[in-house]
Amino acid sequence: MEEQNVMKRVFDHASLLLLLTAAIVFGIMEPRFLAWSNLTNILTQSSSSIVAATGMTFVLLTAGVDLSLGAMMFLCAAAAGKMALAGQPLPACAAAMLGCGILCGAVNATAVVWLRVLPFIVTLATLYLGRGLALTITETRAMNLPEAWLGLGRPSIAISISAAVVTVAEITLRYTVYGRHLYAVGAARRIAEYAGLPSRRLVFSVYVVSGACAAIAALLTLGQLGAVSPKFGENREFTAIAAAVLGGTSLFGGRGGVFPGAVFGALLMQSIETGLVMVNADPYLYPMIMASVIFAVVLLDARRRKPGRA
Amino acid sequence: MTSPHRCGVRTSGSDPVSESTAAISLKRFRVPENLRGLAACAVLFAIMAATTEGMASVENLRSIGTAAIPLFLLALGQMAVIISGGIDLSVTATMALSSITGAVVMRETGSTAAGVTAMLTVGAAIGLINGAAVAWLRLPPFMVTLTTQMFLSGLAVWAVQSKNIGGISPGFVRIGKEVGIAAGIAVVCGLLGHVLLRKSVWGRQLFATGFNAEAARFSGLPVPWVRVRSYIAGGLLAAAAAVILTARLETGSPVLGQRMLLDVIGAAVLGGVSLHGGRGHVLWVLGGALFFSVLDNALNLRGLSHFKIMMAKGGVLLAAAALDAWRSKTS
Repeated sequence: MEEQNVMKRVFDHASLLLLLTAAIVFGIMEPRFLAWSNLTNILTQSSSSIVAATGMTFVLLTAGVDLSLGAMMFLCAAAAGKMALAGQPLPACAAAMLGCGILCGAVNATAVVWLRVLPFIVTLATLYLGRGLALTITETRAMNLPEAWLGLGRPSIAISISAAVVTVAEITLRYTVYGRHLYAVGAARRIAEYAGLPSRRLVFSVYVVSGACAAIAALLTLGQLGAVSPKFGENREFTAIAAAVLGGTSLFGGRGGVFPGAVFGALLMQSIETGLVMVNADPYLYPMIMASVIFAVVLLDARRRKPGRA
Repeated sequence: MTSPHRCGVRTSGSDPVSESTAAISLKRFRVPENLRGLAACAVLFAIMAATTEGMASVENLRSIGTAAIPLFLLALGQMAVIISGGIDLSVTATMALSSITGAVVMRETGSTAAGVTAMLTVGAAIGLINGAAVAWLRLPPFMVTLTTQMFLSGLAVWAVQSKNIGGISPGFVRIGKEVGIAAGIAVVCGLLGHVLLRKSVWGRQLFATGFNAEAARFSGLPVPWVRVRSYIAGGLLAAAAAVILTARLETGSPVLGQRMLLDVIGAAVLGGVSLHGGRGHVLWVLGGALFFSVLDNALNLRGLSHFKIMMAKGGVLLAAAALDAWRSKTS
């Protein structure tokens, strides 16, 4: 019993513990890793991952998944890039991105809720649809955005945008009726329906939230890169899922949250990436290391579920 | 109290007659279930052949057939996994790893048999890993195979530093040069698959597990082991497809079949293999694989860019999955 409690604590704070471990390991291998400038750098760079992981958390809470996140980011960025190059001001582009993200999310939601297709198949299909559409828009060329966009990448702005998203999401999940309903639907959909919760509307909403978060994440990424490349947003869904699950959100629904979980999860993923670059690891190893981390996290999630009430 | 009675009267009255005649008249035009995928493919081909120049030429038909063979093998393996209630998103990485392993073995030993054995072993081993993670560690299949996809494709590229591996034995290259050999492999795998699925204990256990894992476990079936076997079968068939594709390329490629995942899943689902498990047939996958080969070929002939083709296939997959969901809701 005692031992189980200790294990449970360790699991519950896995993201924080792993973050500290990563910081110590990379700090020993390369002291520059712990420099103040590098730490703010990591925080700035992970701001977009934090937002993406926030959206993913909403979807995972209902036992769904959104594999089209990276594709939606690319589509939003492509739309914004086209507009920006046509001379539209930044706020108009940002609004268009948000609209585009919400629209993409609604497409996913429609297929999941009304056509009742499994979420991973829907979002796998829309991943290809989205990437194909975005490549058509960009004509597979890279687009360099006007200077003004890089202003969004300034640490203060990027961090405050992501902090705002996290705050709103956390308050919504924790203190609103809507948020509590999401947990209920995710934990036991049938029972929630018997209790009169509008489960279809709730599930619909999470994909829209995910789309909106993808748009904001794309905006933040654009602020850092200042360009839309044909590989924009590729594999971002993996890091988002990993970050969310690292933070204690279950792939099986009904468990988890945005803060501190997903935030530390995203910081951890970014730290690993930055750390690998700083210690000059073979770039070919990155996907393998990332995949191993994600696998460990998924394994952890399944173990975590087991001793609890099924 | 009265309503069920009245209902009974009504159904035994006029409705059944009209219903059954409607059913009969519909049935007369209904394509047998097992041939639906092939029928869909035939319709698509007819439309495309009528509107696209050069579609129905002998040469082009040959190229459709050539493309369909590895896809059929991959979709067959995918079907085994999907019937068991899982999914294998790591097939392309399996092919890539198997391709470079086979090429390296052949370069070192010069023996075709050793190369093919190595490739099949890699496929089976990856299937075993996926299956073990799904069945014994009880992780969600799509997540497991996404991570193995990411890991193994990374491994394949890293192992050869993203270079192609030459020096393949001439006997092996023949598998790619002569379509007859590849077609023979496909026919043997198809027949074997059909017999295994329909006539063997292995197949019955697979369907039972996919249809209702709980009930299968209560009837004493080794459910985890049945699942693991399905992933091994999937891995082996992916390796078989890798053999054909590697022989055609005459090099071991760490990115072999990189773009095929959508086609594989699409072919299986479009054929009618239910994503909810427990339903599948070799002919369905054959229809699905041919459908996607025809689609790919026709869109290429029309000069569409690869990303537009990607969109079209994504749309077809979504439609097929929606159809599957609708079918499993109504039946």
